[in-house]
Amino acid sequence: MKSLGFGLVLSALAGPMTAAELGAVDEPIKLAINEWTGQHVTTHIAGEMLKAAGYQVEYVTAGMMNQFQAIGDGDVHATLEIWSSNVSDEYAKQVEAGGVVEIGDLGLDAKEGIAYPAHVAEICPGLPAWEALMDCAPQFATADTIPLGRLVDYPADWGTPGADRMIGLALPFKAVPAGSEGALITELRAATEKKSPLLITFWQPHWAMSAYDVKFVDLPVGNEDCFTDPAWGPNPDAVNDCDFAPSRIFKAAWSGTEEKWPAAFEILSNYQLSVEDQQPMMGAIDVDGGSVETVVAEWMAANQDSWRPVVDAALN
Amino acid sequence: MTTAADPVSAARARLTPGAQAALVTVLVGCVCLLLGPNLPWLTAWPAAWTAPATQWVGVGAEWFLNAIKPAARGFSEVLRFPMDWANFVLGATPWPLLVGGATALGWAIGGVRMAMLGFAGLSFVLASGYWAQSMNTLALVAVSVPLALLLGGAIGILANEFTRIRGAVQAMLDVMQTVPTFAYLTPLLLLFGFGPVVGLIASAIYAAPPMARNVMLGLERVDAEIKEAAVMSGGTRLQQLFQVEIPSAASQIMVGVNQCLMAALSMVIIAAVIGGFDDIGWEVLLTMRKAQFGQSLLAGLVIVAFAVIIDRMSAALALERRRYDPRVAYSLIGLAVVFTVVFWSHLPDPATFTLLDPLAAAVDHGLGAFTADNGARLDAIKNGAMFYGLLPLKIGLDDAVLDFTWGFQWTAAMSLALYALALVAGLLLALRERLTGGLLLVIAVGMLETGIANLPWPFVLTATAALAWVAQGRGFAAIATGLLLTILLSGLFERALLSLYLSGAAVFACALVGGCIGLLCAVSPLAWRIMRPICDMLQTIPLFVFLIPVLMFFQIGEFSAFLAICLYAVVPMIRYTRHGLISTPGEMIEAATASGATTWQTMRDVRAPYAAPTILLGLNQTILYAFAMLVIAALIGTTGLGQSIYLALGQADVGLGLSAGASMAVLALIADRLVQGFAEERRRALGL
Repeated sequence: MKSLGFGLVLSALAGPMTAAELGAVDEPIKLAINEWTGQHVTTHIAGEMLKAAGYQVEYVTAGMMNQFQAIGDGDVHATLEIWSSNVSDEYAKQVEAGGVVEIGDLGLDAKEGIAYPAHVAEICPGLPAWEALMDCAPQFATADTIPLGRLVDYPADWGTPGADRMIGLALPFKAVPAGSEGALITELRAATEKKSPLLITFWQPHWAMSAYDVKFVDLPVGNEDCFTDPAWGPNPDAVNDCDFAPSRIFKAAWSGTEEKWPAAFEILSNYQLSVEDQQPMMGAIDVDGGSVETVVAEWMAANQDSWRPVVDAALN
Repeated sequence: MTTAADPVSAARARLTPGAQAALVTVLVGCVCLLLGPNLPWLTAWPAAWTAPATQWVGVGAEWFLNAIKPAARGFSEVLRFPMDWANFVLGATPWPLLVGGATALGWAIGGVRMAMLGFAGLSFVLASGYWAQSMNTLALVAVSVPLALLLGGAIGILANEFTRIRGAVQAMLDVMQTVPTFAYLTPLLLLFGFGPVVGLIASAIYAAPPMARNVMLGLERVDAEIKEAAVMSGGTRLQQLFQVEIPSAASQIMVGVNQCLMAALSMVIIAAVIGGFDDIGWEVLLTMRKAQFGQSLLAGLVIVAFAVIIDRMSAALALERRRYDPRVAYSLIGLAVVFTVVFWSHLPDPATFTLLDPLAAAVDHGLGAFTADNGARLDAIKNGAMFYGLLPLKIGLDDAVLDFTWGFQWTAAMSLALYALALVAGLLLALRERLTGGLLLVIAVGMLETGIANLPWPFVLTATAALAWVAQGRGFAAIATGLLLTILLSGLFERALLSLYLSGAAVFACALVGGCIGLLCAVSPLAWRIMRPICDMLQTIPLFVFLIPVLMFFQIGEFSAFLAICLYAVVPMIRYTRHGLISTPGEMIEAATASGATTWQTMRDVRAPYAAPTILLGLNQTILYAFAMLVIAALIGTTGLGQSIYLALGQADVGLGLSAGASMAVLALIADRLVQGFAEERRRALGL
């Protein structure tokens, strides 16, 4: 709740505090529903806030990578959880073309890193210190990577941060791109079931963090120099010898939204959600089997204080 | 003319085309092998020689797409009407009416069996809890199929009327079927805007070719006398076509309709990748993402249920002439109406049906338990297959045989010994009048030693050209070489070789395993009764669903991709092998039995040779299927063209997507034509 409050103060300072017109309340505002549960939670809360302000809202399923064309064309009006770590080039193109505008950070503190399911600590006792991986590598070797250890990296279209770390820190691991998020989760599940070794590039907030008891490897804390100056960090010959750069999670809207639904635009721009709020809801849906609508409705009822002010600020 | 030329031409006359082709290939291979170490450009195509073709394609395509965008957007607006309408009708109709309607339709088409099928199928959909999503999917199919039928029919009729364009039309149909849909999703999205219309058009593009092919075939086969009769009775060309020829070709055209329906249904999941539509494909994607095998299998089986109903009913419509008493159908519908009205206020929301959820959970749990119990065994299988099969094939014995794989290190001396052995064996074969076989053996050993992914490009070009020349003649050899050159120039050759290796290995395994299963099914009706529903399921369930168990067992990597491809591509091999073996004419078998042949002798000496062209056709389909699955296999982390296409989809890179898709189509087309050429030759040899 703390970071949410902080976010609200920030946005209150930054955003215009004047009351805005409601605009076209008869036409539904279309919000993009992407492929993962956290995004469903984020979007449904925003949608309920808009409904509380008197708007009609429609949730439209849209592929994360392909949604920006739709937003640029005004077929979808906002998408509320874009990860800078795997945003497609299409986004930049659409922003440049003027159809899509960024509407600020979501306030979700994401962490990416090299991770492992908890049982792997028994196979490689030095974990979570990254130096332990130097000697454990053969334990992680498979037929595809022998003699190197195997790191399951992000799908190729999200970039290769895991491979960059292995090279930067001179770890004897070969990064294998996962192909899809489903493949990453399947790897986690199989390793947990079989109690077999697994090193994986992963992120939070994600429901699998708790479901499979995933831990992050402690990598050297870095700064800007780590990514530009080879001399910096434990490996004097390479860049990237430090932890992941924090990834930004932000929101974007169709450029016509501000004019058509001024108050809605303000609500969406000022909308914030924290990991502490989102992660339990993800668990309630993916692990306990609740529906997005009921879980979000319960949270909305119990946490009036955290979202109501944003709606009121835009209306009054 | 001169005496010196005579021995040469005499020698040439003795060499069969196959031997000549193999000889040239061996020579080029030797040159590459000997000069390769000193001339690096022989082994790997230098980057400096590639043109930024993907960028050109990207710029060109985007310019073109933007030019026709307004027209496309208009078309997409028009299509939105039937789409919304179908969606509304199917979504708003109470479920008892649809279940009753399907049962009644089943009765009218095929009596009790079809009625049972319709009822059971839709009841399964209802019980799965995915009713609403299924109706959305059905709406998509309901609009895309007429579109595909219209498009395919028009293409077929045009090709029939203007014989001169027939070659071009065939090539276009091949391209429509072999360029992976993922490759052109991005351009379609740009053109038609976001929403289900893109999926609709993609599936129409994919589903039209079977319709067109069958229309062409049907019209071609109309008896000359019938056509003449139409001409003599003074009909205009249009009258001849629509009142005589098309009705005569009706049964062949119905086969096309059936194939078109199945193809459209198999594209449902692709449409979901874009989204904009809460359909069953989206549900499969969501559950896939969470690695919930049970749930994604359940959602996938809903598609299978639709496919089986549509397939069996449209097949019955095409084949069976008998019609059943319509009064039964009317009373079934009446019953459904009465049921709906009586229970109107008590009709439960189909979304609340969770009858099958425990089953899905149990399947999911069972998969986990199996993986946990058999982890070591599964790893051993995977390592064995990788070390002794896939790795040597990919990177050659030279690189694959290492201390920790085979227990010893491959040395240059071993390479020499292997080559010497191959040469001796080749010579022995040549001396026994089997020169082609000997040369092929030498080529195979050379390829195994080098590895498919490391093959020098001059060798690949020559070998392809040689094969093409033997299979289809000089013209096709030139075309094949030209097409391969475009891949080289666009810098995608390395990835193409990786794709070739993976699909090649899969096709080989499928031919072996599928052939054996097909043979078994041909001799034992029981085996076929078991295999048939499995084949149906493998062909219509969204391919994604296979990926979860395969990944659970064998992790991300080439072996998993290999298995996933095999699972899908083995089906046509089974079907065609069985079909070929059981359709040997009765007289031939009687003759064999009369001369005292045992069952197995008949199989080997009579049925198998007779079935060869059909089996080759099955192999051809297996190859096409393997290429189609390559793109899906990229989701579990393969390299090669499939990954490029998927990457391009993610980054909305039109140029890379189209180029990689085209390269994939080139490989598939060449393989297709080669096999067809050999099948044609066999058929001629058999006098068919």
